[in-house]
Amino acid sequence: MSDAIVSCKKDQVLAAVEKARGELEAPDIIENGLAAGMNEVGTLFERGKLFLPHVMMAAEAMQAGVDELKGDMPESSDKAASVIVNGTVEGDVHDIGKTIVSTMLQTAGFEVHDIGRDAPVADFIAKIKETDANMVGVSALMTTTLPGQKEVIEALEEEGLRDKVKVMVGGAPATNSWAKKIGADCYAENATEAVSKAKELLL
Amino acid sequence: MANEYILRMGDGERISMTREQIIADLREGSADAADLGDIPELSGDELDKLADIIMDSNRIVSVEPGMQVPVTHDIGTLRIDGDQGNSGVGIPASRLTGCMMHERGFGADTMELGHIDYSFKPVKPVIAQEQQAMEVCQENMTIPLLYGAMPNLGLYYTPDGPFENPGDLLKAFKINEARESIEHAGDHATRDMTWIMQHLQKVGCDGVNFDTIGAAGDGDFYASLYSIKALREEFPDIYIEAGMAGECTLGMHGELEFEGNVLAGLWPHEQVPLAEEAGANVFGPVCNTNTSKSSAWNLARSVTFTKATVSASNIPCHVNMGMGVGGIPMFETPPIDAVTRASKAMVEVAGVDGV
Repeated sequence: MSDAIVSCKKDQVLAAVEKARGELEAPDIIENGLAAGMNEVGTLFERGKLFLPHVMMAAEAMQAGVDELKGDMPESSDKAASVIVNGTVEGDVHDIGKTIVSTMLQTAGFEVHDIGRDAPVADFIAKIKETDANMVGVSALMTTTLPGQKEVIEALEEEGLRDKVKVMVGGAPATNSWAKKIGADCYAENATEAVSKAKELLL
Repeated sequence: MANEYILRMGDGERISMTREQIIADLREGSADAADLGDIPELSGDELDKLADIIMDSNRIVSVEPGMQVPVTHDIGTLRIDGDQGNSGVGIPASRLTGCMMHERGFGADTMELGHIDYSFKPVKPVIAQEQQAMEVCQENMTIPLLYGAMPNLGLYYTPDGPFENPGDLLKAFKINEARESIEHAGDHATRDMTWIMQHLQKVGCDGVNFDTIGAAGDGDFYASLYSIKALREEFPDIYIEAGMAGECTLGMHGELEFEGNVLAGLWPHEQVPLAEEAGANVFGPVCNTNTSKSSAWNLARSVTFTKATVSASNIPCHVNMGMGVGGIPMFETPPIDAVTRASKAMVEVAGVDGV
């Protein structure tokens, strides 16, 4: 199953899912097959062995596999365990890294709402309320837009949401020290770390 | 209690470590680079030399006599008059004044003129202004003055340009459309960068610095290499510096090639032969700083990558040293103890030709 995901080919993934569903439970296929394969894709991407189109093709193939298994899932697992809103702060048009993080979080099982780049603070808050999110990912790629991450945290406090919404920050100029300074719950260096930090905080 | 030495985390935080801890981090950092790039780790002697540099009791260190190298500045004029909450010091000064301060006051060996946007594309509508500024600077200065800007393929995509944003297309799983968009943008950027430099060469410009090549992925690298090739064919004697944005070329497209070589996923020692083949005179390798690791780990990793790049190169390598690259902490105004240690290590261990 993992090899099928790494091949980035939807037909191979669907064939592997079909073969596995008679032998394994659906949650097991997703977690130990599809998600494990996506983790391998993430590792290969970070090592410069696979590229962004491959990551997206693998993600699409994984989604097709998950859709195929939906009918086999126990009812209690219908809703995603955690909901994450992800976006790049206002004034900052950088998108690529944040999109990779959204994709990797999604394939790790989180329900992700990507609000895009150049997103005003109000958009973060509105989407968090709309989706009842329990984490927000705030990206900034320039030193001049970094304060936007702090503004999102301040807005969460003003709205009385801070206690129920974890905050993850990332982007080239963001650091652990900066995350501590502005009161974020975590800083992630890259997409793989974003997934592991989200799991630590939410699962 | 064991002796401890003051050094930095990758985010600039001051920390203290024992000699044993420093050596362990040096080994791990070098091993990480060797593993990723499939290149040799630093030798025991080289790691000892790095440890000595890091543990030097002086706040500022420098190279040994006779090992001085040229220092090249990029958009330095904006650091004089810029004041946008970044490293600019906000002193009102024209670009001519800024360039001359670097030449006569700061000891820069080469300098560059750049536009406030610092990307090639926005220079097109103000090319006459840039030509005039370049001509006046050349009349007043002695050191080689290049024109510098970022290829910045991002400006060719919506909402800033005519082509659909491949990030949006990829998110919608429109892989082929995303690749076509990158190819179109790459061809336009190649044409624009070449056109801009053709005009600046008419007013006595000494050459060009392609700064942060690859920032928008392999399409960015593609456009830069083909523009370098075109400029080298048209102007055999100009200086062309190819400076990278990151250590590994991000594969936004994944299949773009230059002279038969796939551009995605290349590490610095694999990038430099292509820059050389295209016609660059100088290559600027980059190694990114991991903010969660110590400066010992980061420096060893950067030096390992850079040493391999210097070995693979037949043209001078002027390593990128600054905020978040070259083993220097990711900090708006990087601490001078870390900057000078990293610079000394790059010259004395990695063997770079310039900074």
